[in-house]
Amino acid sequence: MKITIDGQKYEAQYGEYILDVARRNNIFIPTLCHLEALPGQGNCRLCIVEVLEGKRRRVVVSCSYPVKGEIEVLTNSERIRKMRKNIVRLLAAAAPDSDFMKELQKEYGLQGEERFQVTRGEDCILCGLCVRACEELGIYAISTVNRGITKKVSTPFTEPSEVCIGCGACAYVCPTGSIKVKEEGGKREIWGKTFALLPCPSCGKYFITREELEYVQAKTGLAPEKILCEKCRQEQAGRKMGDVFKDIAMK
Amino acid sequence: MVFFKRKPVKTVLVCCGTGCLANNSLEVYEGLKKRIEGAGVRARIRPVTKATGCNGLCERGPIVKIQPDDIFYCGVKAADVDEIFERSVLNDEIITRLLYRDTSTGERVKSHRETEFYKRQYKIALRNIGEIDPASIDDYMERDGYRALKKVLTSMSPQEVMAEIEKSGLRGRGGAGFPTGVKWKQCERVEALPKYVVCNGDEGDPGAFMDRSIMEGDPHSVIEGMLICAYAIGAEKGFIYIRDEYALAIKNMTTALEEARKRGFLGQNILQKGLNFDIEIVRGGGAFVCGESTALMASIEGRVGEPRVKYIRSVERGLWDKPTVLNNVETWANVPVIINRGAQWFRSIGTEGSPGTKVFSLVGKVKNTGLIEVPMGITLREIIFSIGGGIPRGREFKAVQTGGPSGGCIPKELLDLPVDFDSLTESGSMMGSGGMIVMDDTTCMVEVARYYLQFLAEESCGKCVPCREGIKQMLGILEDICAGRGREGDIDLLLDIGATLQEASLCGLGKTAPNPVLSTIRYFREEYEEHIRNKYCPAGVCKELTEFYIDIDACRGCGLCEQKCPVGAISGERRRTYTIDGTKCIKCGQCREACRFGAIKNRGRRHEDNH
Amino acid sequence: MPAGSIQEGLSQAKEIIGKYPREQRFLLAALQDIQKEYNYLPREALALVQEHFAVPLSRLYSMATFYKALALKPKGKFVIKVCDGTACHIRGSTLLVEELQRLLKIGPGETTPDGKFSMETVNCLGSCAIAPVMVINDQYYGRVTTAAVGKILEDLEAKE
Repeated sequence: MKITIDGQKYEAQYGEYILDVARRNNIFIPTLCHLEALPGQGNCRLCIVEVLEGKRRRVVVSCSYPVKGEIEVLTNSERIRKMRKNIVRLLAAAAPDSDFMKELQKEYGLQGEERFQVTRGEDCILCGLCVRACEELGIYAISTVNRGITKKVSTPFTEPSEVCIGCGACAYVCPTGSIKVKEEGGKREIWGKTFALLPCPSCGKYFITREELEYVQAKTGLAPEKILCEKCRQEQAGRKMGDVFKDIAMK
Repeated sequence: MVFFKRKPVKTVLVCCGTGCLANNSLEVYEGLKKRIEGAGVRARIRPVTKATGCNGLCERGPIVKIQPDDIFYCGVKAADVDEIFERSVLNDEIITRLLYRDTSTGERVKSHRETEFYKRQYKIALRNIGEIDPASIDDYMERDGYRALKKVLTSMSPQEVMAEIEKSGLRGRGGAGFPTGVKWKQCERVEALPKYVVCNGDEGDPGAFMDRSIMEGDPHSVIEGMLICAYAIGAEKGFIYIRDEYALAIKNMTTALEEARKRGFLGQNILQKGLNFDIEIVRGGGAFVCGESTALMASIEGRVGEPRVKYIRSVERGLWDKPTVLNNVETWANVPVIINRGAQWFRSIGTEGSPGTKVFSLVGKVKNTGLIEVPMGITLREIIFSIGGGIPRGREFKAVQTGGPSGGCIPKELLDLPVDFDSLTESGSMMGSGGMIVMDDTTCMVEVARYYLQFLAEESCGKCVPCREGIKQMLGILEDICAGRGREGDIDLLLDIGATLQEASLCGLGKTAPNPVLSTIRYFREEYEEHIRNKYCPAGVCKELTEFYIDIDACRGCGLCEQKCPVGAISGERRRTYTIDGTKCIKCGQCREACRFGAIKNRGRRHEDNH
Repeated sequence: MPAGSIQEGLSQAKEIIGKYPREQRFLLAALQDIQKEYNYLPREALALVQEHFAVPLSRLYSMATFYKALALKPKGKFVIKVCDGTACHIRGSTLLVEELQRLLKIGPGETTPDGKFSMETVNCLGSCAIAPVMVINDQYYGRVTTAAVGKILEDLEAKE
């Protein structure tokens, strides 16, 4: 079916999310708590758009609104921009030192905050990606705790988690750099727990915790010497691709 | 043979709702029961003692009713038991001193039906409350209980049931007012199985307690309503989600479910008509947000009660992603009556757009507080002044709050507003579950807005940004205003952020969260401005912006204020006059509450500039 | 605590958990029952729940901190709940909290060092008609005044 986004018609599948249709067609809608691998949480509300359906006109989050009819979508109307600006302002007060938020502030013409209470030192905007990532891996070391304005992300009892493997996936997906990872002298510290790092079998650089290595082994069945650091993995993949091209060229 | 006209058996009904229990009604109940049972041999008649659910007039509890004469005693104490037994149970005398004194006429009336409080009411959802023993299924059945179930099972098709409910125009009593019949039809149409029927008994609006009273006082009406829906949509399993704090409601509902199972109203092949349905109770975990349907379902599933994005509705994908009908307690209690008496009859009550009645808990600064059930379309004025008897201590009406934290404050200019779903929404408030909190001139509207946001700051699930961060910042600004740190531009900022919350929040809690702020700004903007510009709280509530003094012209020197002052800030001489020591005063307002001459006044902090 | 007494103390928790099928939907009910039994959720009991329902500790911790009916710290022998619903609020519930604070030297959410009293403010208890309301271990007190607060506490002390 066809839907209209900002005046242009686009092809969409029944049940497809507006955001996916937009992204496919290079229409930019800002998102924060949305990643290809961890989609549709609907927490940050940055991806709001206006949907016009018959006489109804409403604001929805594009990451989780399924296309079910021939709707018209406005991704950047004045109304939306005004609300998004407010959301950015609210987020910026919670994560004032994050580069990501500074960029957004600039984009929405926001200057230094004067009226809101600004919380420094945390920079967490509770987008939920870290918890989702940890759960997707099947580790369940962290979760949201409390509710309302005291909600935060934490390990149980704010103690070093027994099950954490120190993989750092939570920090990797965090858009505001709020999860602190310290790495030095072959050690990694995250969520108050310190892990010994093992070297890459190829280049010798420390890159993985023993717990994570065991986890990857169990998941993939790879021998430890085949588990490489990201750089070496990419190089290896590059070499393989090179071989493939060579093969083609030979023929 | 001579037939003696036998005197009808007397029934002594002792209210054992939470309100009366707090006033020791259990002692009264036990006392009367002991006397009646003890005297069984010599008494010609054997009265029945019943512990009933709430009569609504909780403020005057404990309440004892004696049928069939319809004698209504209130404020009964254990010490009155003997006298009641001797005079009104064994004999037919009336004890005048225990009768209810009407607030409008000042006269003692024999039956509660004669009082202004009850006269204008029309009971459907509360039809049995206070009249039956909630633990007795026979009591319920004597008053047409389970007749509607029999009717639908023997003579109506599921389609006919849904058509009847739709035709009645019944709208969800939980607050949003969605047409109940339409909801059932939407769910019935979905092909997936199993289907679920859920009762929302997680009454969380501060100031509302109708659902508690129904579950405590007439649990079978809820069960019967759910059974009828189960038959209509083809569900086999139901859940009643009850607030954990409602101990008595959980107890009475549990008993009712057991009784219903014993009589074959729940279980397999109900009434031999092939219907299979059973109900389980789930205790709430103490989270206001669980009143939101998707959060409630998450909680039933054993998870944290966070709402989910609701672009696919619960009738399609609800509990465990299966089609689910969720209605609130009061809605369910209406269903059997509609089936018994017909949609036509139901439509004859209330208004075109909102047929039937609504239960309200009328509380706050009003003479008669309690539960009332009135036809939709009645005006606020009638409720507050005729039923509620007006404002106590001769103070002035200021606003009425409806809809709890999702609602707003309605000012006196709108007192003639008819009460129905649509007019309340138009006024910037909402029906909500039916809390109606009356406020007088000693209630500060800015502080009320601050109070609700404080509530929501704790009760928001904290998942989505506009709700969590928006409430936090709005609360901060309101706290500033109440403490004298308000700034120019604050009001517009509150309006701006509030509008974003209304549109961009994930669930109903966030979308309605700004209502208390927006409605008070709409109707009481000057009060905000007084706080911000003049650092003055006209109601004398915000402590930083209040300074009480005694108006020497009005003061009669009775000394009551001095007695009431908890910190000894008031001194003076009897029959002359008193003064308040501003350095000691903690601005609790107890002196003002106590003064019968209106001599305690508030000049705020602004006088400091003037003098 | 010596190991023996932990085991002994946990027998009730074991019994409670054993009553429930190993399905997630009974998780909240089981936690509530443990809360009722111990007045809080002991960590050892949480471990049992974790095992029985095969649910990660992080999820349990999330629930325990989300729902107000659950607590991770022991509460006092008498749990004083001051209703701060709207009706109670405009009829002076904050004054009751202040009075309790003055008398018990603890704030809302705290417990006296001797473990006797805990104070909490709660949202509407549905007894608005007799506002302001206090509930102490399921006993309701209606139309409470600041003067009555001291008397109520004295009575409780006497009951000891």
